[in-house]
Amino acid sequence: MQSELKYVGKSVRRKDGPDKVTGRAVYTQDVRLPNTLVGRILRSPHPHARIVRIDTSRARALPGVKAVITVEDTKGIKHGFVETPRYPPDQEVLARGKVVHVGEEVAALAAVDALTAQRALDLIEVEYEVLPAVFDPEEAMRPGAPEIHPSHPKAPSGLANVGGTTATEWGDVERGFAESDYVREDRFDCQLRTHGYLEPHVTLAQWENGKLNVWTSSMGTFVKRAKLAKVLDLPQSSVRIHKTYVGGTFGGKIDLYSHEYCACHLSMLTGRPVQITASREEIFNAYRHSQPLTLEIKTGVKKDGTIVAQRIRAINNAGAFRGSGVVVIFLAWGFTMIPYRIPNLKYEGFSVYTNNTVRAPQRGHGAPKVRFAIESQMDMIAEALGIDPVEIRLRNARGPGEKLPNGDDTHRGNLSECIRVAAERSGLLAKFGRDRSQPPKGTIRRGIGIGVSAYMGGTLIYPNGSGVIVKMNDDGTAIVLTGAIDIGQGSETVIAQIVAEELGVTPDDVKIISSDTDTTPQDIGAWISGMTYVTGNAARQAAGNAREKLLQVAAEKLGVRADELVAADKVVSHRLNPELRMTYREVVASSIAKRRGDTIIGEGFWRTMRDEPAHPSLATTRGRWTENYAFSAQVAEVEVDIETGEARLVKAYTVHDCGFPINPALVKGQIDGQVSMALGHAFMEEVLVKDGYTLNPNWLEYRMPTIHEMAESEDADVITEQYRVGQPYRTKEVGEGLISGVLAAMGNAVYDATGVRLRSTPFSAERILEGLRDLEFQKRKKHKEVRA
Amino acid sequence: MILFDFGYERAATAEEAVARLARLGDDARLLAGGTDLLPNMRAELAMPATLVSLEGIACEPPRALADGSIRIDALTRLADLERAPLIAERLPMLAAAARAVGSHQIREMGTIGGNLCQETRCLYLNQRHDYQFAPPCFKRGGECCYPFPRNKSDVCWSVHMSDVAPALIALDASLEILGAGGTRRAGIEDLFSGSGLRPLTLGPAELLRSVTVAPRPARWGWGFHKSTVRGGLEYGMSVCAVALRLEPDGRTCAEARIALGAVRERPLRSPKAESLLAGSVLDPARLTQAATAGAAEANPLPHHGFTKRHLSDNLKIYLRRTLEQALSRAREEEGAC
Repeated sequence: MQSELKYVGKSVRRKDGPDKVTGRAVYTQDVRLPNTLVGRILRSPHPHARIVRIDTSRARALPGVKAVITVEDTKGIKHGFVETPRYPPDQEVLARGKVVHVGEEVAALAAVDALTAQRALDLIEVEYEVLPAVFDPEEAMRPGAPEIHPSHPKAPSGLANVGGTTATEWGDVERGFAESDYVREDRFDCQLRTHGYLEPHVTLAQWENGKLNVWTSSMGTFVKRAKLAKVLDLPQSSVRIHKTYVGGTFGGKIDLYSHEYCACHLSMLTGRPVQITASREEIFNAYRHSQPLTLEIKTGVKKDGTIVAQRIRAINNAGAFRGSGVVVIFLAWGFTMIPYRIPNLKYEGFSVYTNNTVRAPQRGHGAPKVRFAIESQMDMIAEALGIDPVEIRLRNARGPGEKLPNGDDTHRGNLSECIRVAAERSGLLAKFGRDRSQPPKGTIRRGIGIGVSAYMGGTLIYPNGSGVIVKMNDDGTAIVLTGAIDIGQGSETVIAQIVAEELGVTPDDVKIISSDTDTTPQDIGAWISGMTYVTGNAARQAAGNAREKLLQVAAEKLGVRADELVAADKVVSHRLNPELRMTYREVVASSIAKRRGDTIIGEGFWRTMRDEPAHPSLATTRGRWTENYAFSAQVAEVEVDIETGEARLVKAYTVHDCGFPINPALVKGQIDGQVSMALGHAFMEEVLVKDGYTLNPNWLEYRMPTIHEMAESEDADVITEQYRVGQPYRTKEVGEGLISGVLAAMGNAVYDATGVRLRSTPFSAERILEGLRDLEFQKRKKHKEVRA
Repeated sequence: MILFDFGYERAATAEEAVARLARLGDDARLLAGGTDLLPNMRAELAMPATLVSLEGIACEPPRALADGSIRIDALTRLADLERAPLIAERLPMLAAAARAVGSHQIREMGTIGGNLCQETRCLYLNQRHDYQFAPPCFKRGGECCYPFPRNKSDVCWSVHMSDVAPALIALDASLEILGAGGTRRAGIEDLFSGSGLRPLTLGPAELLRSVTVAPRPARWGWGFHKSTVRGGLEYGMSVCAVALRLEPDGRTCAEARIALGAVRERPLRSPKAESLLAGSVLDPARLTQAATAGAAEANPLPHHGFTKRHLSDNLKIYLRRTLEQALSRAREEEGAC
């Protein structure tokens, strides 16, 4: 069956490729409207302070300043990344009464040019009364800590600043620990990382004839429209988000941002277009970074490595508003329970307000930290038990047809197979421990390690469904209307491949009109790892719908039954008698002539788990997620200079089950991109923050890897699903699940090379040297004891 | 974006530039490649009223003088230095140091003179202060020091990050400095004041005109290393530049020059380490001893998120490794003779 596929499963060239490599692609910053004003935001210089007074009169009086707004000029409608009965919207678009982090938006203005806008900002007077601030989540939780916001009413009493909790358990963990042969408890930490999208946050808004036109760099135009319309108190039909190319997001452009509101409001006040572009420094010191998690993990196992019980406590430094903080503590549980069977588990997660900037999801949304912690501990347990890292994982890994604790099913997903193939391809067991048992000459030590992960695709959250419309043209080519936004992941290419396959045209015959909220159907957006599955199936259905219509019209014209016909290469022909045929051009003409002008439009809709009423509970974890779990095992080989502590990734092996790869080259791109992002996490990146102020708000001192650090990356997919024309298909996650196993693998490989076990990232030269020094000290101490 | 107004003038000759500087006074700054000055203007660390551009001044390619010295115009772009056959052949350490700077784009713009005359750096200093660190620090004319709150007002522990300066110090370069009263000569080390507040000793209307390096003696070798986290697009964690000259026996050190960069307010010499080497037979133990002494006397300032302890560890290892490089090159050269 597979061999009959023409475009799906092939590495078709990217639709956006030529535009991007020739510089023709229009990004938001490139959109020019006449008479555009420059918008700027006045930000808080304090991590925590009461606003006593704001006086904008001098700024307003400055020639060239067209409008100034504070929260008093807004309708006071709150928004939040999560908006549920338990977690109602918690953030205003501009600070009201007090500021809770450095860089918080206090006022905004629009002026004729950048210089005037800067001068006007300096003229806004804000009187603050500085309040005590707290930056460490564990300090912030203590009773008596400075209160940033009241704790959530359902948080355990006595704890301060708890924005939300997730708690769940099954089995009996205490009994599980009692029945275990070996129990250990470890604590893991990680640094603050940021997304590193090259294109900054930028919004252009134009209020014209009762319609708000918005161009903004985002991960989903429909989510932006919903949130903007809400805080502006406009009907959604009055807000149009236009398509632009997006220069990277990695999770950092989902939620509503204050500057988006301000650009719109300022345009509505002035009647002129307003553009606000965040500087890189603003993005680093006022916008959203990833979620740093602290994880305490207690695990009990049998002698053979079988997990009996696990207790996990996760603390999220959530920043000054709820943001996605309460989501990450829920997801952290998910990333725990998917890959391995855990018969007894107790999980509690705390999302804690601190006077840091608000947090956003970042590729993996907690998974890198969770998998780093668990996979590191797995290796520690294996070593203590004297079994190898592959065996302990195979002992616990999930296979096909398993029920997950949330009621979901692994279907044909197969982690065991991923582990087996990864170990085999990398020669892990032959290499493991080699440099520790027989140290080579010189100072370079090589190490190898493995980590596994799992990720869900197309999870149920707003707006749950995607629609796609396929319009036939007179000549038999097609226009596809989709709300899907191509943020570089290749959604337009994938949708074109699917439509081409289903419709019997070439991908070049398919033109995509995308992510414009006025002209395209609603879409889930590029942010829950589900576009290829959800929007892709909608596209498949829409193209199939158009194909059925083509066949029906041809059948009537040719006087045969529709099921006797096939559609391919823009021709409908009879299965047995190919002479009996009509071109699509003829079919469309015939349809218009005979079917009251029907130009043939196909429509399709899709939603993950159509029978599930709602998304799962963030508080209790109850409720199903998805039918698509992708599993992966990754192996890393690292080199460490034991004299300097400098370490680098030499080679990564990724074995993943992505269901069925619609475009293998795009899958490969996702893998390599995640390997490079993970090595930045492992060895170099860190947002340095002191008392809420960011010390390295630039590309120079926030060190992301360059081309020179890219490691060799080999991969293999364990294909567990098939694509068949006319049938729903199951693709799985591949865009963010592969950043985690390899991070853990790098930690385990550093250990394998040096004997240094690092419980927090990044694995800096300094930490590795400290670890080596400590080992040396322990060795000497032991030697002394033996001699004594 | 630079968010304040400033004037811009172009000088056709170095003399004219100096004359303009003298006329405009303290509020003017010279603009060569701009890779240091313009970002500092963006951060409002420098807010000159006027820029005097040196773009119109003809730059002479590096050339050998009659005595075998090599003269390098201060306006020479780092990329040209990296590419010049004369430099590659006669001063490979300088080519290596130039190549270690920034990125291709930075090196195509930045000049050797500008690299030497760059501002010192500190994480707090090198960013806009519109809402972060709004009250200015000592170096910005204010009354505090953010990273070292106990420092007095005359102390600023910002770090001179030049990659090129240590190489030129190891090469014992001399400078030609043009002022209103004419030209004066100075040793390269005299360019640096050692103060983070005003790192250069140049007078108010002076301009660095050229750099001259005397010919290399026989049995001479060099070593250079810039430590970074990601290998490029980065200022150094530390920079080691060493030059060793051997006695005719090929084992004993006749002279050692060690320069360390990115560790203090100025590029440093390591006199103790040098004296441990000079006159000694260079066995591995000796090199380790000298490197350890060099790291200790450097007493590095914690900077860019690196602790003093780690910088000391780093210097100890990389100073030894660069000494090894230099020794091996000196021996190779002897073999070639």
